[in-house]
Amino acid sequence: MERSSTDKPTRSRVASIFTDIHFWVPAAVLLGGLLLLRFIH
Amino acid sequence: MPAELASTPPTQIQDPARHRSLQLLGILCGFTAGAWLGAAEAPTKLVAIGVSPIVISLIMVIGVFLARWSLPALVLGTSSVRADVRRAPHLIIWALLAGCLWAVANTLTIFAIRDIGLSIAFPLWNSNSLLGIFWGFLFFNELRQAGWRRWAGVLGGALVMCVGATVLAIASASQGPSPHSLNGVWAALGAGVLWGTMYIPYRKAYLTGMNPLSFVTFFTFGELGMMTALAFGYIGVSTLWHVLVQARSVIFWLMLGGFIWVIGDLFQQYAAKYVGISRGIPLSNTNQLWGLLWGIFVFGELHGKSHTTYMEVIGGSLLMMLGVGAIALSSATGKEQQHWKEAAQREGQRYGVAADYVAARFEGRQAAGETLPSRSGLDWLLVAAASAVLVLFAAMARVPQFSFRWGPALALTAVLLLLLFLCGRKLWRTTRFH
Repeated sequence: MERSSTDKPTRSRVASIFTDIHFWVPAAVLLGGLLLLRFIH
Repeated sequence: MPAELASTPPTQIQDPARHRSLQLLGILCGFTAGAWLGAAEAPTKLVAIGVSPIVISLIMVIGVFLARWSLPALVLGTSSVRADVRRAPHLIIWALLAGCLWAVANTLTIFAIRDIGLSIAFPLWNSNSLLGIFWGFLFFNELRQAGWRRWAGVLGGALVMCVGATVLAIASASQGPSPHSLNGVWAALGAGVLWGTMYIPYRKAYLTGMNPLSFVTFFTFGELGMMTALAFGYIGVSTLWHVLVQARSVIFWLMLGGFIWVIGDLFQQYAAKYVGISRGIPLSNTNQLWGLLWGIFVFGELHGKSHTTYMEVIGGSLLMMLGVGAIALSSATGKEQQHWKEAAQREGQRYGVAADYVAARFEGRQAAGETLPSRSGLDWLLVAAASAVLVLFAAMARVPQFSFRWGPALALTAVLLLLLFLCGRKLWRTTRFH
């Protein structure tokens, strides 16, 4: 019942994630944060 | 199917009274979040031994992990979490990302405080609220067609709160700068950027319809995983174990701090859901004010300080309250809400999440045909296991010799419980915790 109400995505979920700027901005900031931590430690 | 979805008109605002109610609920959640997040500092003040900051952070995160699984299990049951994940599984990635961002930011703040002191570090990382406003506008249509009064209220309120926070930080600082001050500035700025960006996953999840209680259960894996990796990387496994064994008498207090922090964070999540990140973040940033109240009245931190210091505390507190008032009076109008709904619909289309589910959760309701959340034996097992771990460490805990005033502590605890009751009741009545 619950699954049947889920609409089919317009393309594969993985492709949607990796082309989503909402993914890349936090990922880039996280990478920058880890590099900064390594630099100041 | 995609064509049908695309042709679906944006969800209309059906009931303006309900949207006003949700806005008020979000503001109350932001305010309650500040109170509980500030109170989370109190147990950590009991820990005066020389434990590494990374270890302190790790132990708090373990307490956070226990709370993030047991509280959702207690409130709605894990069946609700599973149902949410089946509907929007892609959000697990964002929950893990947000948890990792939090852990790295928290570690950076420890280095910032060490190198430049709280008075300089805090205003720098408190800029996260301004970055949150920027991301909210850019990615999630917040403050679109909001009008100059609301822009002035939100942006001006956030800036006034930053100034107030700076004054409070100067008043409460007890540490001078170290030779590594430039590193400290970078660490504080970095923490602000990481925390401000962490709200992108929050807003994305709640626009898509995920329940905050579901989101945090996955968030915490990122948080604990990243914190454990940092502790292993910077301290080493054997040294970490040795330090943990030595610190066993204070582990309970740090875990308790983490547990209280989660209660505040849950309200922060609901604030982000119902008033957006541009308003929710500054409101929950009042935690500094509450932390200072605990410090002054319960732990006597400003005892014997100059008249100027007290004036700074009063002035900074008034500025923060002024900022809170400005933001609270700038809630989203119908036009802006319509833009939020368009952003929500965009997310639903991109990831194939049912439009009725997104629309219902946007209004704090259950979707039609959605099964009512219920608790199972697994939920009670999770609650019992988390309680047992806390009881175990409580049995090992030692109450340190500390200047502690019971009267103000009881009064502040009563205020916290009252806010928890009032906000929890309004959340239940308005949204059934959705």
